[in-house]
Parts: sequence; structure tokens; C-alpha cells
Amino acid sequence: MTSKKNIALYIILAIMAVVFWFAAQRGHDWSRNHVDYMTATDNGFPLNCANCHGGRQVDNFLTQFLTDDYLSPFNVAISPDGAYLYVVGQEDYSLSVVDLNAQQVVNKIQVGTTPHSVILNDAGTIAYVSNQWDNNVMEIEVPAGNIVNTYETGAGPSGLQLSKDQAFLYAVNTFTSDVSIVNLNSGKEVRRLPVGNNPTGAALSPDGESLMVLSRRTIPVEYRTPPKVEVMFINTERQRLTERKEIVSAHIMENVSYSPDGEYALFTLIRPKNLVPAAQIENGWMINHGIGVYEASTGNITQLLLDEPNKFYADPFDVEISPDGNYAVVSHTGANFLSVIDMDKLRVVLEEIKNGEILFPENDLGISQRFVIKRIETGAAPKGMAFSPDGSKLYYAEFLSDKIGIVDMNTLANGSSIVLSEANQDTPIRHGQRLFYNAGGTFQLQYSCYTCHPDGHEDGLTYDMALKPGVDMNNVQTLRELPKTSPFKWNGHNVSVYMQDGMRFSKFVTRTESYSPEELTNLTTYILTQLKHPPNRFRRSDGELTEAQERGRKIFYRTTTNDGRAIPIANQCVTCHPPPNFTNRENADVGTAKKHDSPGMTFDSPNLNNIYESAPYLHDGSAETLEELWTVYNDHDEHGVANDMTKNQLNDLIEYLKSLESASHYK
Amino acid sequence: MMKSTNRTTYRRALPALFAAGIFFVAAFGTGNSDYQKVSNNAVSFEEEVNPAQHTDSAAETTDELPLFREWKNFTVEDGLPSNKVSTVRVDGDRVWVGTDKGLAIFEDGEFSVITTEDGLSHNYVLGIDISELTGEVWIATMSGLTRWSAGEMTVYTQFNSGLANDVIYSVVTDEEYVWTATAAGASKFNTYTDQWEIFNEQNAPMHEPWTYGVARSDEKIYIAAWGGGVLEYFKDSGQFRVHKDPDHQMQIDLYPDDGVAHDITTVTYYENKTLWVGTYFGLSRYDGARWNSYYKKDSGLVSDFINYLKAQGPVVYICTDSGFSTFNGERWVTYTNENGAGKIAVTDGVSSSEMTSATTLANNFIWGMDVDGDEIWLATANGLSYSKASGPVPL
Repeated sequence: MTSKKNIALYIILAIMAVVFWFAAQRGHDWSRNHVDYMTATDNGFPLNCANCHGGRQVDNFLTQFLTDDYLSPFNVAISPDGAYLYVVGQEDYSLSVVDLNAQQVVNKIQVGTTPHSVILNDAGTIAYVSNQWDNNVMEIEVPAGNIVNTYETGAGPSGLQLSKDQAFLYAVNTFTSDVSIVNLNSGKEVRRLPVGNNPTGAALSPDGESLMVLSRRTIPVEYRTPPKVEVMFINTERQRLTERKEIVSAHIMENVSYSPDGEYALFTLIRPKNLVPAAQIENGWMINHGIGVYEASTGNITQLLLDEPNKFYADPFDVEISPDGNYAVVSHTGANFLSVIDMDKLRVVLEEIKNGEILFPENDLGISQRFVIKRIETGAAPKGMAFSPDGSKLYYAEFLSDKIGIVDMNTLANGSSIVLSEANQDTPIRHGQRLFYNAGGTFQLQYSCYTCHPDGHEDGLTYDMALKPGVDMNNVQTLRELPKTSPFKWNGHNVSVYMQDGMRFSKFVTRTESYSPEELTNLTTYILTQLKHPPNRFRRSDGELTEAQERGRKIFYRTTTNDGRAIPIANQCVTCHPPPNFTNRENADVGTAKKHDSPGMTFDSPNLNNIYESAPYLHDGSAETLEELWTVYNDHDEHGVANDMTKNQLNDLIEYLKSLESASHYK
Repeated sequence: MMKSTNRTTYRRALPALFAAGIFFVAAFGTGNSDYQKVSNNAVSFEEEVNPAQHTDSAAETTDELPLFREWKNFTVEDGLPSNKVSTVRVDGDRVWVGTDKGLAIFEDGEFSVITTEDGLSHNYVLGIDISELTGEVWIATMSGLTRWSAGEMTVYTQFNSGLANDVIYSVVTDEEYVWTATAAGASKFNTYTDQWEIFNEQNAPMHEPWTYGVARSDEKIYIAAWGGGVLEYFKDSGQFRVHKDPDHQMQIDLYPDDGVAHDITTVTYYENKTLWVGTYFGLSRYDGARWNSYYKKDSGLVSDFINYLKAQGPVVYICTDSGFSTFNGERWVTYTNENGAGKIAVTDGVSSSEMTSATTLANNFIWGMDVDGDEIWLATANGLSYSKASGPVPL
């Protein structure tokens, strides 16, 4: 090659290098800006495309490389002889049989979808497992594992109880808010009693006469008033709901347990302070956690906090009372702790409250030190528990460790644990899941993501989160199936889940250290890929629309009014809510801003998949039902043209909206 | 040409034929002065014929009409929120009483009152039913439907639910369903799935959507439609069948026992394989094959203006604007308040008798009633009346 050619080649290469450098620099700058924008950070997030993409945005085949097959033990039951522990594996749809002598799993039975609870008959020979997403309860011969019967229930069976004579099975249906009473002789549901809103836990009084059922979500209350959940009592002989007690300023009552003598029933609860501006940090800030104590002799219910003034114990899930009645133990899923309560000390406190010696116990952050005698640290996310029959041990499910922890009740210390699966607990998605369930990132460990988003959904409350107290109330939104539904927040200001969950609120208000990029990436991956809607209970099993839903679909897609006038495109339902996610991901003014909203406020069009389970509605939760969106809050047809509709048409439209299911069904 | 012998035969036969015809008309003619007469089955649509029903209902008719001679009346002085009592419902040891100023519960000898301040949808209570499945009480009011469950109330309105209209005249529970008759159609609510269906002139054979009463049987729901007669809703198919007055809007019953007495129906009730229909112009009874109508002019019915009725076995209890009648298919017993004194009129169409009673119902304008065994409660314009039968009406 001649030197001229070499020189030309070198020049070309140099030019290419310079161009490449500029391009790379441009690319780098673009990438930097992109990442900073999407994560709302300033040069703080590493430039790694794989962090956000490549299986992390949607649940696809790449996701499997970010996770493993987890069992995720949820609830447990122990055989009457103490030989076996039965463990519901919520994520692998199983019931594990654990030999407690050998401390190992000896059998694993495949049950239905998203199982919730397990109970045993008195003899310990039959286990009943509620399959929450299959709407049934399985009857299983144990420990062999033969499924002998499957009982149809209402939607979302969770908590289970047997009648004292073992003739009836009570299944709490979380999604339809009722209790199925199944005659075990005939195998048929004999009646279904309505109970509160989104109930789960239930306990039979020791004399068998009364079934106590707890709710998780507030009943409809007047706008901007404290939430109220219900504790309900069913007379088992008459099979009638006989009493409903409202618990004010509380919700997420997950589980309940009676003392052996029936004197008390303890249940877990959360006390949200959603009406108070989040900027007030004193006196327990936004959310407190505790128990309710039901006194059978008087019918009184007292709420008590388990938090301490500078440390909170988030997301109490289960409460179990020892067979001798001396202790109660509460599992705090969000704190990775168990609280051990001395029942005698608790009785003293209750007496003082009754005598007026303690005022406002439900807000007293110091009261737990009077009766909580030990806090036992656990593995990740403790959930359901069971005492051994002799009370010497307490077994608890470590939901996000795939283990059973064992507490020695003589020493109140952790003993060994039982490994339930060989899954790798350190995958990105598992890491993100643990972050989701843990309050470690918040001020004084006060709340986890799960606290306001139980089951990855929403808690049905509206919070005063704004920097301007009393302005811009926020109705909590679901986190299920978020891919391709950005932006986030009602004002649409958060372009990504990274931004939404980047601890900005905590960082700015309470100066809490934000997540590391790895943590945020894994948390976001978990949220985007793992949180799913349950099956839509309004859809027919064949997937076809009912007649009413089909009529409603036509109304949803209509382009003219009843009298033939054209509906402007901007005012057609499908414009702002197109499938598959039923959001166009843009802000709109639909005439629903109130006087307590910032001037000029517009709202991000929410996605409508499984919208029926997200009451109340609108940005501030002011619409109690879907109907009210148009009967109360659409005087001027700004939220779709609806004022010309007949009641028949509106009902049909509502039926269609209730039928909208996961986006995957519309592709 | 006809033979002469044939002509003779015919001439001799004609008088016989003529006599036979006279005899036939006399025995089975079109006149209907006898209110027990069986219908000539003139109907305007295809009907099911179920001879067994007719036979059974005939066999179950007895003389056991209860006699109510002793009355106790309750007013505001006893704790009722108002003397204008619109509806009453027995619930075991409890009696639910609807007035225009709230809902009262009579239990252990005392009234407690529930109003809008306690969560009732409206103080004017028009209908009450108790769910056999759950024990819940469903309360129809002038402005919404209230569900009373173990002391807590949930309100359904046309604004927050699929309810057709807030003006609800009647409510009935049927397993997990709750049916309401409203001023803009009938609503069917599935308490298991929270789904509503409404039926009005757009999707049901209603003349207009104003419905006044709703009742149930094992197979059907019956809707009393103002100006629309009676609608039968078949539960298994979701189809309707309508019974209207073949005389249309005539204020007289042109052809007796040809169908519903009148299209302005106020109430229906199904019991003992019999559908009873109250109208503002008479009473009708349908056994699945035949209609019978009864009027003041030719029966023991105290008034054609029927507000409400209910049946227990073969006995129907009829609330009118002028008193209270009972009927078992053969005899009528009517109770009226004659300036504070009780008058009891008994008739079977052939003979009549009267009795007096020292106590009587509170008022002759009766909106509703309930019967439980031998006890009755009447919702009147001037109080709540209670009586326990002293025995059967003497023959």
C-alpha cells in the first residue's frame, strides 16, 4: 500500500473515530438525560440499559432469569398431635406437609390458584385449603395429600373455619365480601352472608356459638371522614349475621384469634391517618400499627398500638394466642419482627382504660411497652403462625425466605428454621419483593409499599399527601399490571415507576436515604412484572360478554348520542380509555377537579383493567361507585357524554366497565 | 230434494233443539251474577293449563276463615313515629312497621324507631321484606332502598347503584335476589355478584314503567304494573308474560272472569298455587288456568280500591280504602270501623250475617298488612292494628 493510501486511511479512521466519539458522547448524554428523567435522579443512576429493559418492564420470557420458583409460605396449620405443620405456598400453589420431628418437608400437594389459608379438622386428618383465585375450597386427606372434595364458594375465599360439630365450613370470600356456609355433608353452599368490605380473617369463639369475621377495607363513609371497618359476628346456630361493630380510624384487619377461655379476641389492624396532612410528623405521623382487643363479656373493642414512639412495626398480619392463654404473638410482615404480648399485662392495661386511667389508648405510642415483653427478629416478611399443641413452640411462615421459623416459647428466642424450598432467595425479583414488603426505607420504619398497596392493589383510602395541606387529595391507585400505563400520580407528573417509587417523598419530607440504584431497579422490576389482577369475576367462564356487557360495550364505543348528534372525539370514552389498558396515558380535564384541588388541575387517565375492585373513584375518591361518576360528577358531559343515556344504558355501560380485565386479554 | 219424512223429522226436532238450547244458556250462560262462577276461559293469549292446580286449589278451600274480634291499636302515643302506617312485616318476635316518618321495630312490647338520622334512606317507608336466606331486612322507601343487616344500614339509590328509581313501592327477596317495584321499572339485584338488572318499557312488556308491587313464587316473579296489568317473569328463562284486562281500560268488567279485573294493578301475591291480584277496580284470582274477579257490587269485597293483599294458605287478606276483607274462595268476612265500633260482615253470596266487636281496626284506610299464623297486623292511615284470631268464623 502506498503511503498516500495509508494517510487517507488514517484520516478516514480518525474522522470515523471523531464521529464515533461525538456520537458516543451524544449517545451518552442522551442516555444520561434519559435515565435521569426516568428515575428523577441527577446523575445518580448507572447507565445500564439492562437495568430497566431486558425483561424488567414486562413479564416475558426474560423475566424467568430474574427470579426463581418460590413457595412463599403464607398461612400455616398444625396437626392436633403436633407432628405435622401444613404450609400454604401462595406462589407455587401448594400445600406442604412438614414433619416437625424431622423438620423437613415430607409431602407437597398441588392445590388451586393463589391459595390463602389452611385449617384442619379436629382429628387432624382433613385439611381445607382456600384457593383464592379459583373461588373454591379443597378438602384434602392429610398427610397423604388426596384431594377428596372441592367446594364452590363466593369469589376470593380466604379465611376458613369449621363449625364446632365439624358439619359446616365457613369460607370468607374476600372479593365478594361475604361468608359462604358450606354443608359438608351435602357439599353444597347453604347460604352466603354479607360481611363488611374485603374481609379475610375469621375465628370461631371457643364455645362455637359465634363466628367473628374481620374486614380489611373501609365501608363507604362520607368524604373526608375517618375510615371505618367492621367486625362482624355470625350466630352459628341460626347462621345469621347478628352484630356488626364499626371500628373507626382503622383498616386492614387481617387475622383474629380468641383466647382459649373466650374472654378476649385479638385482631391485627392498621390505623391510617389519611385525613391529616402528611407533613405533620408528630404523634405517629401517617400510619400506625396495632391490635384490636374484643372483650366478649362487654362487647367492647379497644384499639392499642404496637408501635413505639420512634420505631414502628409495620403491617401486623397474624395474631395467635398460646394454648395456655398467657401469650399472644403478632407477626409484623413489614418489620420482620414478632411482638410477644403478655396477656396478664394486657388485662391490666385494659382495666386501666376501662377505669378512665388511660385516655386515647388508640393513639398512645408508649402503651405497647406495658404489655409487649419481647420483640423477636425474624427472616423476611413473617406471616401466618401456629403454636405447637403444648405451647412450647411457635412456628411462623417467613413469606419471603421460604422458611418456617421456630420460636422457643420458654426463652422467647428464635430457634432453628425449616427450609421449605431450594429456590435462590437472592434473585433481583425476590430482592425487589422484599423491598416492597419491608418498611425499612421509611422514616422510623413506619410503612412499606404493601401498607398502602395490600396485595399489590390499593387500600381504598384517599391521603393528604400534598405539600399544600388540604389541597390535592390522593386516592390510592393500584399497582397491578402497570406496564404501558405511565405516567403515574393523578397529576401525571411521574413518568416512570422509578420516579414514582424513588423514595422522593421520603427523601424530601423525612430526609430518608433513598434506594440504591440496584434496590430501585429490583423493586421496580418486581412491581412491573409480578403484580397481577385476580381473575375478573364479572367475566363469563368462556370469556364472552354477557348481553348487558355487550350492550355496554357499544355504548362505550359510541360516537353519537341517542338522538343522533355526533359526540366530539375528545368526549368519546374510547379516546381517553382505549384498550388494552384503557388509558391513553395523557392528562385530561374531565370536570372533576374540586375546589380543594390546585387551579388548572388535570388528571392522568387511569387504566380501567379490573376497575370494579378499585372503589372509590376519581382522583380524590369522592365517587363511591362507578355509577356516581356520571350520576353525580358529570353534570356537563365533560367526562364522556352520558346525560342523554337512559338508566338502562348507564347500567349496561357499568356492566361493561366491570367486565374489563387484564390487558393481555385485549391483544 | 229432501224427503218428506226427513222434513217431518226436522220439524219435530226443532222444538226439542230449541228447548235444549234454552236449557244450555240457562245453565251455563254468559251472565255472571254469581261471583263463584267458573270462568268461561276467554283469554287473550296462550296460557298454561294445569288441571292439577285447579283441582288442588279447589280441594284446599276450607271454611277456616279466622275471626278477628279483639283489636289492639298502636299510635304515636305508643311510640310509633307516625300514625300514617304504610307497611308492616312480621319477623319472628319482631314486627317491622313502616310509616311516613320512619321505620319502627316492635319488640318486647316496645317500639324503637329508625330514621334517616340513623341511615335510613328516607323516612317514608313503603315496603319491607325479610330475606329468608340471610335474615337481612330490605326496606323500600320514597327515596332509595335500604338494606338493614345486623343493625347497620346500606343505602342503594339510582345514583350510586343500578337501581331503576328511588321511589320504591315494594320489595321482595328471592334467595340471593332482591326485587323492587319502582316508579321507573322493576329492579333485580343479585346480592352475590352485586349486579343489577332493570326492567321497564324498553325491555319488558310494560305499558309504562310505573310498577307498584312485586311478589314471588318458586318459578316466577310477579310484577304489578300500573296500567300494565300483571307481568310474570320466568326465573329460569328470563322471559316475560303479561296478563292484562281484556276489557282494556273500561271501568266496568265487560266480560267477567276473562282476566285481570283491571290494568291498574297495585299488588300481587302468590300463595297456595294461586295468584291474587289487587287493583283499584277489583280483585282477581288466577289458578294458572282460570281467572276469577270479584267486585264490591257482587261479592263480599268491601271496596274495589285495593291497596294491598296477602294470602296465607287459601285465605286472602285484602286491604282497601274502606275496610279489610278476608276471603277463602267461598265466604267473605269484612271488618270495618264504624265510628269506633267494630262491624264484621259475613257473606257467602247466599246468606249474610253481621257481628259487632267492642274493639276494631284503627282506620278503614288500610295500606298494608301481614299475617303470621292466627295473628294479623294492619297498616292503616291512623295507626297500627293488631288482632289475634279468636277462632274460625262460625258457619
